[in-house]
Amino acid sequence: MLKLLEGPQTLGRGKIFWSCFLAVLAGALIYPLFADSYDVGNFSYFLIWIFMALGLCLMWGYGGMLSFGQTLFFGIAGYGYGVLAINMGGGTMTIAALVLSVIVAMVAAGILGYFMIWGGISGIFFGIVTLSATLVLAFFLGQTAGPEWHIGTARLNGFNGMKGMDPLAVGDFYIEGSALYYVMIALIVIVYVALRMLVNSSVGNVIVATRENPQRAEMLGYDVRKYQLLTFVIGSGLAGLSGALYTSWGQFITPSSIGLPAAAMPIVWVAFSGRSDLTATLVGSFLLLFGFQTITIYSQQAALVLMGALLLATVMLAPQGFVLGIGKLVVDWWTGRRRPDSGPALAAGRLQSDET
Amino acid sequence: MAIVDVQGVSKRFGGLTAVSDVDLTVNTGEIHCLIGPNGAGKSTLFKLIVGLYPPTKGSIFFDTVDITNERPHARVQRGMSIKMQAPSVFKELPVRQNIQIALQERFSGAERSAEEERLLTLLDLAPDSGKLAGALSHGQQQWLEIGMALALKPQLLLLDEPTAGMSPEETFKTGELIKSFNSEGMTVLVVEHDMAFVRQVAQRVTVLHLGKIFARGSLEAILQDEKVAEIYLGKAHAH
Amino acid sequence: MSAELFSVFYQFADVFAFLILSAAGLAIVFGMMGVINMAHGEFIMCGAYVTVGLVNLGVPLPIAQILAALTAGIIGVAVEFLIVRRFYKRPLDSLLATWGLSLIVTQSMLLIVGSAVRGIGTPEGSFAIGEYTFSTYRLVLFGCAVAVLAGLYIIFMKTPFGVIARATMQNAAMAKALGARTGRIYSISFGIGTALAGLCGALYAPTMTLIPTMGATFVVESFVTVVIGGANVLLGTAPAAVFLAMIRMALNASYGQIIGQIGMLVAVILIVRVLPEGLSSVLVRRGR
Repeated sequence: MLKLLEGPQTLGRGKIFWSCFLAVLAGALIYPLFADSYDVGNFSYFLIWIFMALGLCLMWGYGGMLSFGQTLFFGIAGYGYGVLAINMGGGTMTIAALVLSVIVAMVAAGILGYFMIWGGISGIFFGIVTLSATLVLAFFLGQTAGPEWHIGTARLNGFNGMKGMDPLAVGDFYIEGSALYYVMIALIVIVYVALRMLVNSSVGNVIVATRENPQRAEMLGYDVRKYQLLTFVIGSGLAGLSGALYTSWGQFITPSSIGLPAAAMPIVWVAFSGRSDLTATLVGSFLLLFGFQTITIYSQQAALVLMGALLLATVMLAPQGFVLGIGKLVVDWWTGRRRPDSGPALAAGRLQSDET
Repeated sequence: MAIVDVQGVSKRFGGLTAVSDVDLTVNTGEIHCLIGPNGAGKSTLFKLIVGLYPPTKGSIFFDTVDITNERPHARVQRGMSIKMQAPSVFKELPVRQNIQIALQERFSGAERSAEEERLLTLLDLAPDSGKLAGALSHGQQQWLEIGMALALKPQLLLLDEPTAGMSPEETFKTGELIKSFNSEGMTVLVVEHDMAFVRQVAQRVTVLHLGKIFARGSLEAILQDEKVAEIYLGKAHAH
Repeated sequence: MSAELFSVFYQFADVFAFLILSAAGLAIVFGMMGVINMAHGEFIMCGAYVTVGLVNLGVPLPIAQILAALTAGIIGVAVEFLIVRRFYKRPLDSLLATWGLSLIVTQSMLLIVGSAVRGIGTPEGSFAIGEYTFSTYRLVLFGCAVAVLAGLYIIFMKTPFGVIARATMQNAAMAKALGARTGRIYSISFGIGTALAGLCGALYAPTMTLIPTMGATFVVESFVTVVIGGANVLLGTAPAAVFLAMIRMALNASYGQIIGQIGMLVAVILIVRVLPEGLSSVLVRRGR
C-alpha cells in the first residue's frame, strides 16, 4: 500500500521530499506552542478550505472535470451540519452531524453527477451546469428569511444565515482552539495521503486515462462514467467536509459562502497553484488563503480584485499554475539536471490536454 | 463457430444509408479482412461492431450473446479489443503507464510487470517507455495502441486500418505480429485499405461496396473474382 | 381574447423576454467561438450603469439604452482583442480568463462606485384588460426580445457578414482558407454578443436595483438557456427559451420565483440527460 504514496501521478518522491514533508508537519504540530490562540484559530480557518481545494484538484487536474460547484457542496454540508447539530443536540452528536452532513453532500453530488455524466456533459458545460446549481442554491437560501423556512428547530434565516449550532464536541469538551487545529492537521494529512494513494492506484490510472482520452479508456473496458462519478463524489465530498468544518468553526453559515464570488475562489486557488498536482495545490491554496485573509482585513473587495487578477494572470502567463511551475524549476535546479525538454516545457504540454 | 455474427444490420445518418442490411460472420480462429473502396461503409460497420453507434436496424452477436445495445466497455469486457483508425493513446502519460492502464484489469503484481516488459520489448518500445506517448512517432503510436489492444488478451482483436501511416517495413512487421497472435488462438477482424497487407494476413475476406456486402470468400477466391477486381482490386493494382 | 388568457400570455412574454435578452449575447459568443463569456453578467451590469448614468444626465431613456448597448459592444471588442483572442483553441481557459475579469470588474465597481446608485424607476404606463392591470414596459421588453431575434435572423441569414460568419462557425479552417478574415469575424461576433448583454442591462435597468453584482441575477437564466439551446441561437436558444419560459411561468404562478428557478434548473438537468446534444441538435436533425 505504501508504494502508492509515490507514482507517476504525483510530484515529490524520495527521501528529500518526505523529509521536507515531515519537517513541515513537525513545524505545524509545534506551532500552537509558540503562537497566541487568535493566530492558531486563524490558521485553522485557512486549513478548513484546503479540503475543498484538494477535492477540486482531484476532479479538475486528475479527472479533467472542471466543477464550479465546490461551494454548492460546501453549502449543502455546511447547512446540513447546522440543521443536524441543532436538531440532534450538541455534545458527541456533533461528530455524527459532521459525518452525516458530508454524506448528504456526497449523495447530492451523486445525484447531480449522475444526470450530468450520464447525460454526456463535459468540458465547459460541466462548469456552467454546476455553477448554475450553485447559484440557484445561494438564491434559494437567500430567500428563506421568513420563520416558515425551518428544518426541525433550525431556522434558515435567509441572508443573515443560520446560527446557533454547537461546534464539534466530544461529550462536554468543545473541539476549539488548539484542539480544533490539531484535528484539522490530522484530517489534512489523512486526506492528502489518501488522495496520493488514490491517484497512484489503478483507479487513479483510470481517472487520468479518462481525462486524457475517454474513448480510449472505454475501449480498454472501463466504464468511464462510473469513474467520473466516483471522482466527482469524492471531490465534492471534500468540499462538503470543508463546509461542515466551516459551520462548526464559526457556528454560522450564510448563503454568501455559496454564491458569487465565493464559488470562484476554489478555482483561483487550484488554477494558481497548479491543478495537476496535489502537493502544489496544498501549498498554493494555503499561501493564497493566507494572503487573501491578510488583505481582507483592509478591504475585502481589494482582496477579491487580486484573486480575479491572479486567475487572469495564471491563465495568460502560466496556465499550468504558478506554484507548480516554480516548484518544478526549483526541483530541476536542485537536481542539477536541467534538460530543455523537461520541467516547464513538460508542464506546458500537459495543459493543452484537457481541451482536446 | 462464429464469434461475431452481424445480422441484417443497417445504419442511416439522416438521409444517408452508410450500411444497408449487412450480414457478416467472423469465425473463431480466423483472420478476417473487411475491404472495399472508399465510402463502402467499412468504418461504419466497424464502429457498429465496436459499439460506437447503435444500428438503425439489425442485431449483432458476440459469442452467441446479443450485444446490439451494449456500450463499448461492456463489449470489451466480453473479450473484444479494439484499435481505432487514428492513433488514440493517452498522450500526456508515459508509454509504460499507457500499457499499465491496459494491463491492470487482467494482471497484478509480478505477473503484471513481466507482461509489461514483454509487451514493451515486443513492440520495440522498451527504450522509449519513459517518454510521453504523445512524443512518439506516428508509427510508434500505432504500435503502442496495438500493444494496448493486445494487452487485454482478447478473444477477438478488431483493427481499423492498423497500418495507416506506417512504412512498408513497419507494415510487414505488424502483419507478422498479428499472424503470430492469431496462431496462438486470437481471432482477428481487420478493416484495411492496403492490399499488400491483406494478402499477407487475410484468411477470409469480405468485400463491402456502397454499404452492401459485395462478395465474400477465401483470400484466393476474392483475389480471382473479376467483379471485385473491377470495383476495387483493379484500382488497387493500378496504385 | 379573455383577460385570463391575456394574463397567461403576459406572464409567458415576461419570462420569455428575460430569457432571450439575458441569453442571446452569451449564445452568440458560444455559438461562434465555443467560448463561454463568464463576464457576460458584467457586460449586462455595464449596460445598466451606462443607461442610468446617461438618463441622470438628461438623455432620453431609449437613446441612453442604445448608447449603453453600443458602449458594452465596444468594450467587448476591446476585451476580445486583449484577452479572449488568445484562447480560441483553449475554451476552458477563456472561461477562466473571463471569470477572472468578471471578479476584477465587479469588485472594482464595488470599491469605486459603492453599492448604492440612484435608480431611474420603471417607465410608467399600464393598461387594464378586465380586472387585470399590465405594465406597458413589460410588453416593450417582450417586443425587444422578439426584435433581437429578428435582428439576429437578418444579420446571420441575410447579410454578407452572416454568410461568412455561418461558414466560419461550420468550419473555421475552411472559411479561413477561402479568404474569410476569421479573426475579424470573431471580434465582431464578440462585440455583438456583449452589445446584446449591454442591451439586456439597459432594458432591465429601469426595473431593478442597480448594484455591481446585479449581473449574477441574469447568469443562471442565460447559462441554462444556452446549455439546452446549444450552439445555434436561432434554432436553439429561441426554442429553449420558449420551453423554459413555459415551465418557469407555470411554476412561478403556483409557487413563486425561486421555485420557478429551481424547477427550471431541474428541468434542464433532466433534459440534458435525455438529449445530450441539446435541443438544437433535435431541431436540426428534424430539419434535414
